[in-house]
Amino acid sequence: MPATDTIVALSTPAGESAVALIRLSGPDCVELGPALLGRNDSLEPRRAYYGQYHKQNGETVDSCLMTYFAEGHSFTGAAMLEIAPHGNPLIIQLILEDLLARGCRAADPGEFTRTAFLNGRMDLTQAEAVADLIHARSERSLELARRQLHGSVGRKMSALTDQLLQIMAHLEAYIDFPEEDLPPEDEAGPALDLKDLIQELEALIETRQYAALLHEGVKTLIVGEPNVGKSSLINALVGTDRAIVSDRPGTTRDYLSAFIMVGTWRIEILDTAGLHTGAEDLESIGIERTMEQAETADFFLLVLDTTAPSPALPPDLLAKLIPENTLVLENKTDLPESRDCTSFRPDLKHCRIAAKHGTGLPELKTAWVAALDAQTAPLQAVDGLVLNARHAAALTIAVQALEGALQKMKDAELSELIAADLRQAVDALGDVVGRVDNERMLDRLFKDFCIGK
Amino acid sequence: MSGGLKHGPDQVYDVIVCGAGHAGCEAALAAARLGADTLVLTGNLDTIAQMSCNPAIGGQAKGHMVREIDALGGAMAVNTDTTAIQFRLLNASKGPAVQAPRAQCDKKAYQYRMKHVLELQDNLDIFQAMVQGLIFKDGRVIGVRTNLEVEFYAKTVIVTTGTFLRGLMHVGQNKNEGGRMGDFSVQGLSGSFLEAGIELERLKTGTPARILGSSIDFSALEEQEGDPEPTLFGFYDTREETDLFHVEHPGQRKLGWTPGKDQVSCWVTYTSAATREIVDANLHLSPMYSGVIESRGPRYCPSIEDKFVRFADKDRHLLFLEPEGRNTNEWYINGMSTSLPFEVQLKMLQSVPGLEAVHMLRPAYAVEYDFAPPTQLHATLESKKVESLFFAGQINGTSGYEEAAGQGLVAGVNAVQKIRGGAPLVLQRHEAYLGVLIDDLVTKGTQEPYRMFSSRAEHRLLFNHGSAELRLQKHAESLQLLDKQRIAKIKDKSGRIDTWVETLERERVGGQLLADAVRRERTQAAFPEALMQESTAVREEVFYRVAFRGYLEREAKQIEKLRHIDKVRIPDDLDYRAVRGLRNESAEKLAAIQPRTLGQASRISGVNPADISILMVYLESR
Repeated sequence: MPATDTIVALSTPAGESAVALIRLSGPDCVELGPALLGRNDSLEPRRAYYGQYHKQNGETVDSCLMTYFAEGHSFTGAAMLEIAPHGNPLIIQLILEDLLARGCRAADPGEFTRTAFLNGRMDLTQAEAVADLIHARSERSLELARRQLHGSVGRKMSALTDQLLQIMAHLEAYIDFPEEDLPPEDEAGPALDLKDLIQELEALIETRQYAALLHEGVKTLIVGEPNVGKSSLINALVGTDRAIVSDRPGTTRDYLSAFIMVGTWRIEILDTAGLHTGAEDLESIGIERTMEQAETADFFLLVLDTTAPSPALPPDLLAKLIPENTLVLENKTDLPESRDCTSFRPDLKHCRIAAKHGTGLPELKTAWVAALDAQTAPLQAVDGLVLNARHAAALTIAVQALEGALQKMKDAELSELIAADLRQAVDALGDVVGRVDNERMLDRLFKDFCIGK
Repeated sequence: MSGGLKHGPDQVYDVIVCGAGHAGCEAALAAARLGADTLVLTGNLDTIAQMSCNPAIGGQAKGHMVREIDALGGAMAVNTDTTAIQFRLLNASKGPAVQAPRAQCDKKAYQYRMKHVLELQDNLDIFQAMVQGLIFKDGRVIGVRTNLEVEFYAKTVIVTTGTFLRGLMHVGQNKNEGGRMGDFSVQGLSGSFLEAGIELERLKTGTPARILGSSIDFSALEEQEGDPEPTLFGFYDTREETDLFHVEHPGQRKLGWTPGKDQVSCWVTYTSAATREIVDANLHLSPMYSGVIESRGPRYCPSIEDKFVRFADKDRHLLFLEPEGRNTNEWYINGMSTSLPFEVQLKMLQSVPGLEAVHMLRPAYAVEYDFAPPTQLHATLESKKVESLFFAGQINGTSGYEEAAGQGLVAGVNAVQKIRGGAPLVLQRHEAYLGVLIDDLVTKGTQEPYRMFSSRAEHRLLFNHGSAELRLQKHAESLQLLDKQRIAKIKDKSGRIDTWVETLERERVGGQLLADAVRRERTQAAFPEALMQESTAVREEVFYRVAFRGYLEREAKQIEKLRHIDKVRIPDDLDYRAVRGLRNESAEKLAAIQPRTLGQASRISGVNPADISILMVYLESR
């Protein structure tokens, strides 16, 4: 359906940030542009204007940057406005309310991308990258999604496809041209090439985990005995604005979750029931749930009460804590009876804080970012590429097919059967890079082999 | 033959075929077999079904197509079997799917016999005349003009003019008009096509020199014999012997001898260091390298100068010396196609071991010719621009006798179906190489003379040559391409195979499933005695299906996955520009190709999955 109304959405994550981005798409943008800035002239496309945001009643809200994109020359293909006010939830709320009052409609999830797609502004790969872009809530994933949009995944995949086509060409030459004077069939070479290719693809698939961290947030579990100050810590991290602390849908109230930004990382904080061994029946249910959460957690903040004896925590949980995924927070350091707890799990990094007063939080955040960077360093190593779930699934199919081919090569199986596996892998790669025409394989074949009567 | 030649606007044939090469013969025969009143016109009756290049039929993927042609009632397979002088099964060490029969033919016997097949065919008239132009009326073709100023009229016309359209031959800087050395070229027809809005482009191909056998020193060469047990192209277990005759026993309609008897050898030699020096020193005289020829030649069939230039690290190139027949001593030099001047060719030949005292009979030459890019055709091979006009063979940009014959057969059938308003013969990519061939041509077009390779068929594993008759039986039956007895025999064979496959998958010997034993051993050793009594064709198919069951099932699954988009028909008159969200570039491509199905649309280069989703939504919302 052609969009006749103007849609609006907040493109940056909810919560505190330096700058937020509100986007509008639709015919009203032409007139809204000057109106919102309190100007009489029309806005020049693709130029950033600095000014005060004017509400419908004439009041100003905040200073902001505004850019207008003309129809046919925007991301969605329709006329667009991008408004960048300060990333304060209150300001954002005021602006959004004003835009809705002016007749804009809140966009459905992904509607900008869909509009762009329907207006022929992007192909499927791009659309998917943009969909990820929409979900990408941190600066880091925005950057990566942008890179993918500009084809770094495409280029990498294309190079891997070429490698695969070369292996295929070498196999196919001996199937299709049995009468030609080809060099003796090299059996070890293709197998080695195939192994390399499988490794490269597997490394790419691994980046999926990293992508999940970026897109879905680093799931961080706050654990510790009851009354060690976990809630204070959450309040200190999230701020006192409880509006962004919400029940996680679909679960019981065993824990609360909130999203915060720490450095460039998007973090989902999960509060857990207090943990201690030998608990009463009621509490052990909470422990069970916490252990379930721990199974899928990316990071742990273990809170200690420095005024109390060393805690007795479930051994299963303690076993999960390693330097890469855990910070030990020695809390209540403001109290006179506070003592030094470095002897508890000395293998882990400790931070001394007083959550109630916010003491030690900057140091905590620095240590946190360092730990997360270290944790994901090996995943980021693949040329900075990250795959989305669809790509990872397609690549997994390709790897399975290639492993089948490799095994058949080892078993000296018939070459047309190996070729069938390779073709399956090429088709799977084609799901990421677009259909791979057999002509490309033939080009390779005729380049590498002298065929001809 | 029918009741006598008809001509003039009042005597209208059902089908006129222009050209009697490999495409023209199959087209004319197919139409006539279906009972259509058919005329085939050829510029020269003595060159019917001429093998202008290599005197061989079959090979990888091509041999498969010949068997498919036989399964659809075509003449090529039997004609090859009865006139071949050497048979070889290629890829015998690989699996059944990619084993391919190939035969060296007696070039003249092949022609004579095919001419006789045409002569014996009911409903078919033959006439020697050069077609100079087409007669159009209201956007459709209604007849042809010939050089004798005699006009012939028909409801449908099939153009199978090969390389003869404005053919230009090159030997060095020397140029001669003609589609084949010693033959003419057709000038007027190109004008007719342009008049009808049919675009033409140029392609190039070449053929090597022919030499006198008595001037070859065979003592220096390596002999290549035929297989002691020939692999034939025709399906003989399902046909009556009365179909078969040899050209030496015309009218008797019986073979009189055993195909594969008294085979002759080919011989292997190589170019020498001296050959290379001669090529290097004279490269500037090659019309390809001096820029005289600009049209694209085939990548898979480079000239000898191309081979030396592009594969500079290869110090010698393989040459096969192939006899052209039993009753001639003319030999074909496979591997040495060139367009270098006569003098240079002579020196090159003399530099090859075994050819030091060579007597050249005909020089090698390159030929440039017009072809009509096949994306201008429907999948039925009917022109999108001119109704009732069909194209088949080299004029569609293909190369090879087998590719031509296959298209000819399909065009012949579809011309008749067009007249009768019946369902056309459109083979799917998973059914046959012929399906892949025509789908590739009409969907993707071609940049070089198109030759079939087995790798072009994504479901190659289903195309073992022995299964052609079984795969295509459904079409042969519904279109009545084969006689009832043969259809009955094919069905019986098919039933036996199914039953035996089930038996092997059910019965155990010593606690072990017979099928598992076949799969593990990859031999017929575990076959029960009663199965060993079945024909070789039945046993081999049972073996293939059981031994490779997992792979064949995987192919079937993949086909199933695509089936839904192959089933979605797209109306020919769809206005792609009205499809919202479709990129302009894709809309233009789709409008040009006019795909029949969403599946075909998805194979058009540059049309991406997003376009297909949009199109799917559009078609479903209409």
